[in-house]
Amino acid sequence: MKQLASLTRRDFLACAMSAMGTAALAEFVSASSSTGTSTSASTTSASQDTYTLVKDGQLTIASDLANPPLDYTDTSTNEPAGFEVELMQAIGEKLGLTSVYLSPVKFDTIIPTIKQGGTADVGVSNFTITDERKQEIDFTDPYLDSNQGLVTVKTATKTTQDDLNSADVKVAVQAGTTGESWVQEKLRNATLVSLDDPVVALTGVQSGLYDAAVADLPVVQYLVNNSFTDCQVSIEIPTGEQYGIVVSKSNPALTSAINDALAQLDEDGTLKDLKTKWFGADL
Amino acid sequence: MSINDATARPNEDGGTGVIGAMDTRLTWEGTVGDNEQVSSITLSLPEGATFDHSSTRITVLDGLNRTSIEGTATSADNSMSVQFSEDIPAGSLVRLEVTGMQFPAEGGDYVVSGSYTTADGQSHALDDSAAITVIANTPLQAAVSWLDAQPWVAAWNSNPFLGMFFKPQLLLASFASLFPGWLVCLGIVLICYPFAIVLGLAFAMLKTSRHKVLRAIAICYINLLRGTPLFLQIYIMFFGLPMVGINIDNNVLGVIVMAVNSSAYLAEIFRAGIQSIPQGQYEAAASLGMNGFQTMTSIILPQTVRRVIPTVTSDFITSYKDTSLLSSVGVMELMMFSKNLTTTSGNITPYMAAAIYYLIVTLPLIKVVGIIENNIARSERGGGPRPKRRAAADASDEVATAEQDLASSATVFHAEASKPAGDVFAALSAPFVSHPTVDLGGVADGE
Repeated sequence: MKQLASLTRRDFLACAMSAMGTAALAEFVSASSSTGTSTSASTTSASQDTYTLVKDGQLTIASDLANPPLDYTDTSTNEPAGFEVELMQAIGEKLGLTSVYLSPVKFDTIIPTIKQGGTADVGVSNFTITDERKQEIDFTDPYLDSNQGLVTVKTATKTTQDDLNSADVKVAVQAGTTGESWVQEKLRNATLVSLDDPVVALTGVQSGLYDAAVADLPVVQYLVNNSFTDCQVSIEIPTGEQYGIVVSKSNPALTSAINDALAQLDEDGTLKDLKTKWFGADL
Repeated sequence: MSINDATARPNEDGGTGVIGAMDTRLTWEGTVGDNEQVSSITLSLPEGATFDHSSTRITVLDGLNRTSIEGTATSADNSMSVQFSEDIPAGSLVRLEVTGMQFPAEGGDYVVSGSYTTADGQSHALDDSAAITVIANTPLQAAVSWLDAQPWVAAWNSNPFLGMFFKPQLLLASFASLFPGWLVCLGIVLICYPFAIVLGLAFAMLKTSRHKVLRAIAICYINLLRGTPLFLQIYIMFFGLPMVGINIDNNVLGVIVMAVNSSAYLAEIFRAGIQSIPQGQYEAAASLGMNGFQTMTSIILPQTVRRVIPTVTSDFITSYKDTSLLSSVGVMELMMFSKNLTTTSGNITPYMAAAIYYLIVTLPLIKVVGIIENNIARSERGGGPRPKRRAAADASDEVATAEQDLASSATVFHAEASKPAGDVFAALSAPFVSHPTVDLGGVADGE
């Protein structure tokens, strides 16, 4: 046993030495290149082991906070709350960072904001991992599986996909979501209305302004159960999509750091606990 | 295995069509039959379509639950196939999302066919999907593709700022697809404004009325509307009215909200204008034996209109810009179109195109306000146009210049009392008429 322990320690030391060597080398390379061009130096050093943050010591998060129970503003405390908020806190702890939510922003501006950089480190607002979005930004590993749900009022006569695919039907969605592209593809005859968030969409459905709304299933189920009791989830759309955290392509070290944290949270059961807490089941 | 659905994502910027020879996403859904397990699927499209450079996202679902079956996709020309990591159990839903594939450039109806292999190695044919309608490549898209290929465009876009705010391809596509939204904006503000003016004038009259009750009504109306944000009024009208069973078309309701909101501001502008006319004008009118109505229509209002035109134009500009707020409730106007485009492209350029569409209208109007203000300032100083009748009567320019300040008001009264219509028109239109031979007194020596 002792032999093994010392071996491990030696291995560890060797690893540490080599890591330091690599870091020193990287620093040397960046230092030498910085004599030529100072702008490229910061990116080269960032691409290896370290990630860049907007504010040192904190993970700055952009979200629209309009998707209960995933992310929303708790009306009693005025603080962000929800599954994703607690998940990000847990990830922050693993990384040794404080997770700070910015004031809510519009959903469709989050990816451009992250891509542009300088405002927030990550975007967390139930982003489904799609190949189109991957061309703009990087996704971390998925943290939740999800589906889409179509909501109508309980008294609605048009509740099937065929009924709703007609020209006199208005379907509300959140702009830039997978729900939006589902309606564009599958309800091609219906009029698509893109709104800022699913709460506005469901408000419109409840008041009769729109015939239906399509949004992420956990969100609409929560809203229908808690706030919009005149509405129902008429169609559960099996999309099997997965949510990922949005990180800038110029910050791959942060993506892999978050992936490590996610893997740890999955292993130690935190992720499962959070899912049980917010959805009543491990999705 | 049976096919559920095959659809393509619209790739027409701001439109709903699927255009050939441009990247789109094919979504194919099928259900594994009862007594079989599937190990691979091959999809194929007619000649001309291409799966080259595409990437495939594989989703295998058991009911609403995602299963962990992955797969590797290989694509060649007009067919692509997916080999799954393990056999897909019976009853599962399989979704393949092929991003970055292209339909043939010439357009038409295309069906997705293909085959699948079961766990025992047997190959079966897949049913054809319902046809996907593809439209031919439009000139606009051709122009965009041409821009795509230009080296200077690539250089331009490599700058993060220029590429994010002024991407040439997207700017071009935005101008085309924002146009209907621009028409809606213009339509809403042009239709609402006459109503707003009439309503505003009515409430201005009420507010300057001698009766307490009428004044109270006007004050309530004006203060409530000016004291709350337009955004809130839009929400109340758009979400509130349907709840009490009143269903009005979105665009019409937009016109109503804008008209009501503007009318409150206009009422204040008109009231200020009316009250800025000196008391002496009322007395002069009374001394000519005019009644209240005559005084208002032929003396006070014509002068008021001239004075308020710059402010009203400014308010018009504000209203025009405020139509953008209607996008939040789903009126398909300029902001709505640009928002949709931005969400699909992840780029700010459509907003810049929208800004240009707003400026096309507002910049000339701002210029017009400046010209009118100058004209009015000049006429108040004693320059500007004189009534035609008087110019005919006094042929001498010298006299006209000399008498201007003293005589003009009295003469105008006589003229308007005897034949109001023409002069009212002249008075109203004066600010818009340019006067190349403005005579500022004493400069006409050469003639």
